[in-house]
Amino acid sequence: MNGISNEDMDVTIEICGSAGDGSIASGQILNLAITEIGYHVMNFDSYPAEIRGFGKSVAHSRLSNYPIHTTGQLVDCLIALDDPHSTTSLATLKENSVIIYDSKPMDYHEENQAIAGYIEPGMIGYGIPLRELSVQAVGSGKSRNIVSLGAIAAIFRIPPKAFHSAVKKRFGGKKQQIIDSNIMAFDLGYGYAAKLEKADAIDFGNKMFPVREGIKIISGNEAVVEGCLDAGIKLYAGYPITPATKILELLAKKLPKRGGVVAQTEDEISAIGHAIGGGFAGRRCATATSGPGLCLMVEMLNLAVMAEVPVVVIDSQRGGPSTGLPTKTEQADLNLAVLGASGDSPRPVVAPANVEECYHLIIKAFEIAEAFQTPVVFLLDFFLSNRMEDVLFGEVDQAAFGCYEEVLAEEGESGYERFALRGDGISPRAYPGMKGLQHTITGLEHTEKGLPNYNAENHRLMGAKRYNKMRKLAGQWPEPKPFGMEGELEVGIIAWGSTIGSAMEAVENLNKRGVKAGGYFPRLMWPLHEEALRLFASRCRKLLVVEMNTTGQYANFVDQTIGTRTVRAARVYAGPYPVDDILAAVDGL
Amino acid sequence: MTAETEPLLNADTPQHLKDMRRSGALDYRSGELPTWCPGCGYFGITHAMNNALQAVGVDRDKLAIISGIGCSGRYPFFTTCYGFHGVHGRALTIASGVKMAKPELTVLAVGGDGDGLAIGGGHLPHAIRRNTNITYVLFDNGIYGLTKGQTSPTTPTGQVTGTHPYGNPDKPLNPFLLALSYGGSFVATGYAADAPGMEKVFIEAFAHPGFSFVNIISPCITFDHVNLQYAILREKFRPVPADHDSGSLQAAMALAMDGNFYSGVLFQEHRATWDDAVAAMKAKAGGN
Repeated sequence: MNGISNEDMDVTIEICGSAGDGSIASGQILNLAITEIGYHVMNFDSYPAEIRGFGKSVAHSRLSNYPIHTTGQLVDCLIALDDPHSTTSLATLKENSVIIYDSKPMDYHEENQAIAGYIEPGMIGYGIPLRELSVQAVGSGKSRNIVSLGAIAAIFRIPPKAFHSAVKKRFGGKKQQIIDSNIMAFDLGYGYAAKLEKADAIDFGNKMFPVREGIKIISGNEAVVEGCLDAGIKLYAGYPITPATKILELLAKKLPKRGGVVAQTEDEISAIGHAIGGGFAGRRCATATSGPGLCLMVEMLNLAVMAEVPVVVIDSQRGGPSTGLPTKTEQADLNLAVLGASGDSPRPVVAPANVEECYHLIIKAFEIAEAFQTPVVFLLDFFLSNRMEDVLFGEVDQAAFGCYEEVLAEEGESGYERFALRGDGISPRAYPGMKGLQHTITGLEHTEKGLPNYNAENHRLMGAKRYNKMRKLAGQWPEPKPFGMEGELEVGIIAWGSTIGSAMEAVENLNKRGVKAGGYFPRLMWPLHEEALRLFASRCRKLLVVEMNTTGQYANFVDQTIGTRTVRAARVYAGPYPVDDILAAVDGL
Repeated sequence: MTAETEPLLNADTPQHLKDMRRSGALDYRSGELPTWCPGCGYFGITHAMNNALQAVGVDRDKLAIISGIGCSGRYPFFTTCYGFHGVHGRALTIASGVKMAKPELTVLAVGGDGDGLAIGGGHLPHAIRRNTNITYVLFDNGIYGLTKGQTSPTTPTGQVTGTHPYGNPDKPLNPFLLALSYGGSFVATGYAADAPGMEKVFIEAFAHPGFSFVNIISPCITFDHVNLQYAILREKFRPVPADHDSGSLQAAMALAMDGNFYSGVLFQEHRATWDDAVAAMKAKAGGN
């Protein structure tokens, strides 16, 4: 992506309105347009949990000509579709930011609510008659959002062609007249703003760069769905819960076209029961939920550990405990995912760092579920589930995530023992439909044949078998690639899940400042790579674990595994982890 | 713990054992010694089920038997089919998942009155709504047997149990009325001491396209000495009347409420199964 400008382009735009103003829709068009000219985008919308009302609705997009890892913090450009809501966003603006506002807004109840009165010295305001131009184009004020996109294109010199094509894509399937009138709304905004004197420094130079073939702008939830489809799942069972509902809805639409079925069950217990039933039958099956649902699933998860049934359980974490904060992000279900069970109940936990990994790793989750005959908990969070990125799904990265194969018994083999003890803990599997290998599996402790048994020695051997499988997985799953500087480090940052992006940018920032910093970013959350962690810790003078919970759940696992005393930058934000806060934590070490 | 169960076929072997052996029904029976008390009604259910499976001709490697927890939960271990002894109350969820993921399998779910009507009671209406093509046999002995004699959802009011030393204060559930009012497409019953009757009902249940609910009344001879006694049931038990209209919900409900114990099909209707719904869904969705 070299050559767009001498510098790296990195612009964050927020479109802020009241629910119903179309801020989210115009954000989607902006995202599409920016990838049309070959840029990267990372987007995260926020809107109220309640359906009705006039809550604040914000489309937040970071646009760049190099790969980025976070949605950014401070905003370069604010588009105010609703002045009272937008004034509450002023605190996140950069000093020299741009504000695009309606120069002839509707009358506000209170005089002081017009945003124009809040523009500070150094900020650049462009007043555009958004409503007036919208009325001109579509006969009402409802295309103010599209007019504002025209203004952005003109002011930042983004080729209008990209937006035309994006509008057509976004409104694809609608009446031609609707598409035409919205393009007119865009053009009116563009024409008006093009005549204004350019006062800001953001310049895309009216250049187009080749669009990467096959690029998609999708969310983490959508990437998980694509991964489930490509993994060939036969049954998905789910119960609606924010932020996992989208996975259920999308699979309900897509899975029947790919030879599978979706069942909306009566509760989460039934959902995981269905998925386990399908796993027992030898088919790839999954369910997705959030923390409260995972609480209900724990008994069944534990059953799948004991009975060695492959199943993938996706948990898109939200703020907790209990019903908590349904539309806010948090990473506080790790303890439940790893430890939630009666007895000693090991199961792999996998957490992707970004949207692309949601696709690759969910496929790996199905592979390891089968290869290690185990439930796998797949941890997303609200932020990762909903944020949009431009991604290209290529081949699954075997070097980064390994390659796993299922061991099946031979049909017709005599004296088959479902839980035969072998060194690595993996017994060749058989399932209904396979000839002559009938057996019964159970949540009771059992013999190699699978029959209930309460003998102490047998229990010890079987317990060891379940842990041996996890040991084998840790040996097979590639160790996390080192990130940042090599050799001795002043500070090592450990992060997981969607916080990895923030940690990567923090490390890059520190390295630029000459601070010897590096990162350890696992995707396999459990079992841990003990040796790799020990090696990383031995390179670091200080070890900082960054995660979005209050107790340092992963830090606890690290300390307990390798005997360190890590410093915890464990905090909840109800939003993504800010890079600046990681840097502040490093400064405070 | 494995028992020698091969019946010896010699001159002294009674004719009915020889017949049983030749029929192939014993192929469905494993060598495991059942954990049930001698005299338990569940032996009769197992016997009738094996005969029914043999009669229907279900392949043992294409049959999945899913159970919950309780005395009935151990049932899969005593068979030679694929079995899954899961957690308490959730057999129907797993059974339904097996069938949805692999429709070519025959799926049998079994459970007790506690498993299916107390802890798992929330799943029954939805299994019935979905009308998945599985057979669910509820072993109803009106007591918690495995935990040694506590009140179950079908224990009569006033009965003294371990958990109700002064008598059960709660009104018992009527499993038939539940299944009928949830919209069950096949609701049948039998008595554990009436093997031929149960066999007939099981065969019809397997043949029914959709969710088949079969509630078998079965004495717990160890922990219930007042309610479901063989001596009492012998008097009250009878086949479903010959003139009963199993297509009438009202007639089925009347039988379910008259205080007698029946063997036979109370209600049956043919409506779209889960498989039909999936076929329609796939046709609408397109694709392969």
